[in-house]
Amino acid sequence: MTFDYAAIWDNRDILINGVFNTLLISFIAIPIGILIGVLICMARISKRRLLHWPAIAYIELMRNIPLLILIFMMFYALPFYGIRLSGLTTGFVCLSIYGGAYFAEVFRGGVEAVPKGQFDAAKALGLKYGFYMRRVIFPQLYTYVFPPGTNIALTMIKESSLLSMITVAELTYAAHDINGRTFTPIETFATIALIYWIICTVFLKLTGMLQSHVHTDDLSNSMAIR
Amino acid sequence: MDLQFLDIIPKSGPLFWGALYTLFVGLIACGVGIFVGTGLLLMRNSRFWLLRTFVGIYGSFIRGTPALVQILVFYYALAPLTGINIGPFTAGIMAVGFNSGAYVAEILRGGLSRIPKGQWEAAEALGLPKRKVWFKIILPQVFHSVIPLLVNEFTMVIKITPLLSTITLVELTRASQMLYNETFRPVEVLSLAALIYFIICFSISQFGEHLQRRSRKYRL
Repeated sequence: MTFDYAAIWDNRDILINGVFNTLLISFIAIPIGILIGVLICMARISKRRLLHWPAIAYIELMRNIPLLILIFMMFYALPFYGIRLSGLTTGFVCLSIYGGAYFAEVFRGGVEAVPKGQFDAAKALGLKYGFYMRRVIFPQLYTYVFPPGTNIALTMIKESSLLSMITVAELTYAAHDINGRTFTPIETFATIALIYWIICTVFLKLTGMLQSHVHTDDLSNSMAIR
Repeated sequence: MDLQFLDIIPKSGPLFWGALYTLFVGLIACGVGIFVGTGLLLMRNSRFWLLRTFVGIYGSFIRGTPALVQILVFYYALAPLTGINIGPFTAGIMAVGFNSGAYVAEILRGGLSRIPKGQWEAAEALGLPKRKVWFKIILPQVFHSVIPLLVNEFTMVIKITPLLSTITLVELTRASQMLYNETFRPVEVLSLAALIYFIICFSISQFGEHLQRRSRKYRL
């Protein structure tokens, strides 16, 4: 059994394109997912029933349905209603609304972990809800949110591989493509596994550096209201 | 387009069988996962640094690559590489099981760290051999304390099984694909599939949460 490196090297354009698309999808979907997560989290912890229950329904729905089904629904079912999204757009939308539910849970966990005295103190100072959430509670979330949030972002990078099933030309699709041309399944799939591993490891290292940078263990630092 | 669930529901027999198959595959894969996870836990605590390093590399590989790619590697690459011709069923179960194994190992590690040191010392003081200490004293306690988390891991496994449709396993997702190709009604069929997945995963995760609450109540 010999490794046929030529098959990979000759088709490197496809692979590079695949890596580019995977990174593009992830790094657009992750910030949007975080944004959705914050909004859903605010709705989830709100006392208004009209916000609270829909948020719970959204989170539970997203957390209990496989992403693949969601992708298929967006891609195959929406055209029946006259909404025709391209594969790439479907990818962004699906990944970000899917990740948003998980981020929402992470943020909620963070808000619940903030000491109760912080809320009481903010209220006692007569700060308005929106203000103290934005200026007092959310800055403290870094500590609690960063590690699980990183995990979810990592999962989103990995889940973007599912988009190969709706012919988005990301890394897994590139592998199928090369495999179809050259019949070298071992080399191609081993290569993309390695590339995914490199992407994820680099991502983890970067976020690790970022985390030690924001001094998450020092609560007094982030408590200051500027 | 108007929804015609009434037309689809009588034809949804394949979805039902697909759901059963999903549960079946999920259960076996979860079993494999627990087996692998226990093995990894023992290896992590082994005397030999080679085994300990292996666990680290294994965990990093599983965490750093998508489950879909792992399944594809298992299905397309492992059989020609080893010469063992495993069918899609075995390959799928192995891939999902080995994937889950890494996460189960993490769960078990968390459980292990909660075992009081006295348990080790007591076992040692009784002069039990190392194997007996692990299998008769430590592991039962670890498993007992992480049952809720293992139940949640089962829902994670169920959510990975749709990926097995790529390697031609006719589980719920594949069954629904076949059904909507036949009936040209993706909206209804996929909604039904999503509903089935939701019912399965939601009930299991609620059960897990129930167990967690109960275990919290009885914690010493």
